[in-house]
Amino acid sequence: MKWKNRGKIPAIIFTVALLLLLLFPFFVMISTMLKSSQEVYSTPPTWIPQEFHLDNFLTVWSEFELFIFFRSSIIIAVGATILNTLLTVPAAYAVARLRFVGRKFILYLFLVIQMFSPVIVIISLFKIMVGLNLLDTYFSLIIANTVFTIAFTIWMMNGYFRSIPIEIEEAALIDGCSRVKIITRIMIPIAVPGLVTAMIYTFIYAWNEFLFGLTFIQSRPKMPLVLALYNFVGRWTTQWELLTTAAFLAIIPVLVLFYVIERRLVAGLAGGAVKE
Amino acid sequence: MDDTAISLKQKLWNPEARLAYILILPAVAVLLTFMFYPIGYVLLMAFFKTNKLSQLKGFAGLDNFISEMTEPEFWVVTGRSMLWTVLAVATKTLFGMIIAVILNVKYTGRKVARLLFIIPWASAVPISSMLWRWVYHPVYGLLNHTLRITGIWPQPPTWLGTPIPAFAACIWVDIWIGIPFMALVFLAGMQAISEDLYESAYLDGVNWWQKFFFITLPGIRHIVLIATLLSSLWTFNDFNTIYILTMGGPAGATDILITRIYQNAFKWLRFDRAAVMAFTTFVILTILSLVYARVYFKQERS
Repeated sequence: MKWKNRGKIPAIIFTVALLLLLLFPFFVMISTMLKSSQEVYSTPPTWIPQEFHLDNFLTVWSEFELFIFFRSSIIIAVGATILNTLLTVPAAYAVARLRFVGRKFILYLFLVIQMFSPVIVIISLFKIMVGLNLLDTYFSLIIANTVFTIAFTIWMMNGYFRSIPIEIEEAALIDGCSRVKIITRIMIPIAVPGLVTAMIYTFIYAWNEFLFGLTFIQSRPKMPLVLALYNFVGRWTTQWELLTTAAFLAIIPVLVLFYVIERRLVAGLAGGAVKE
Repeated sequence: MDDTAISLKQKLWNPEARLAYILILPAVAVLLTFMFYPIGYVLLMAFFKTNKLSQLKGFAGLDNFISEMTEPEFWVVTGRSMLWTVLAVATKTLFGMIIAVILNVKYTGRKVARLLFIIPWASAVPISSMLWRWVYHPVYGLLNHTLRITGIWPQPPTWLGTPIPAFAACIWVDIWIGIPFMALVFLAGMQAISEDLYESAYLDGVNWWQKFFFITLPGIRHIVLIATLLSSLWTFNDFNTIYILTMGGPAGATDILITRIYQNAFKWLRFDRAAVMAFTTFVILTILSLVYARVYFKQERS
């Protein structure tokens, strides 16, 4: 069909131009992480490193001890993902399948609160963490990240549970299956794509989270990756060749995970008008 | 009388409802403790005198509001929040639309292009903001270097050190993060429009702009509304970009409500001010969220 072929050349030109503009900081990142310290701090700056340095990867791992912060981030993100899932699955099943007073209100409430700002909460949340003796613990961040992802994940899982034909469940009920068995043996296996999306979403949220870490964590070894990098920047002289290397390593895992859920995430956020 | 009492009790407390409450209780309990209670406390705090430990010290009525809202600075920051949101969302929408239109053309490589366009959204916002700080660096940064050697801007500003360029630099990073979401949503909307419409328009000799304004735009109207609402919420709430790039500086020139709340509370220990600003923010966010929820539900039903 001829009409489809129109506009290909301008589209390609625009694509290249926009990508050059939008990926600029990542080009800078890759260029900087391959440079030596002397080259990074020479004027005028260079785009292509005069000689390629891979030492920065070793340095961030050995001297900057990046693995400590990787470990913290993994503990926090995995913890939040587990806690979120434990709370989300039963609640989402209830709003999707059971009839009770206040069901609509709760769904509506979840949709509204998913957009609330952590900054509004942080003042009193700080006091609560002090009161519960949770300041400077991984658990404070696990809770905070769970609280701020749960509304969206319940909402999303509700959609997935609801798309499962009710007949399957009715048949199981007639066969004498308990509700718990229905959830664990029938609903969850069918809704695995949705569950994976919700879990990855929580993991990424916790991995990228900055504000709670900044406020609750004080001791260096407990810092999540993002906060550790920020403190690295805040120091008097930032070694940008090391920071860009660390940034590269910190971004890769979430980038890969994001590609897995991207289409389902957009559909979940924008609602029924967007097909997966 | 007895009948309705029984049926009401049955409605609230039958086995199915009971199971539902049990299943929902853990999630609701966590939300009540770590979200609703803290929000309630901050809203309450706005009506109380506070000390440097953020303890409540006697009822203050509207005193905090009056003293804060008679300060011009409050209105400057609130106004900047609005300006920040409107400018950023408008620009994101524009860029998102352009990218969606481009990706809707069926050329080879568009799938790869789509993946590359997503990167700014997929990457961690705080880390991207740090990268931008390096990009904007006045001496060693590659942005100013590139602007100089290409002659696009022979005398580029010290981005993060002077008020107006700093605001521009911050808002650009926020826009840059938000573009991919807009583009993806618009693209999904465009792909849902029937191709027959375009084909018959082509046969009728309709030009590109007419097709865009009479077929594409009306077809994605609803999606544009929902995406801009969502984006407004995120943009208004953007703490990371500003805090990491400038911490609201220089001289408060890039502070918006959300960053000023944090600084009032955790830097200057002015909890009365933080609470009044949090109250204001809460009202604005709730209105926006309610509109979003309404539109979302309306669309789900149709």
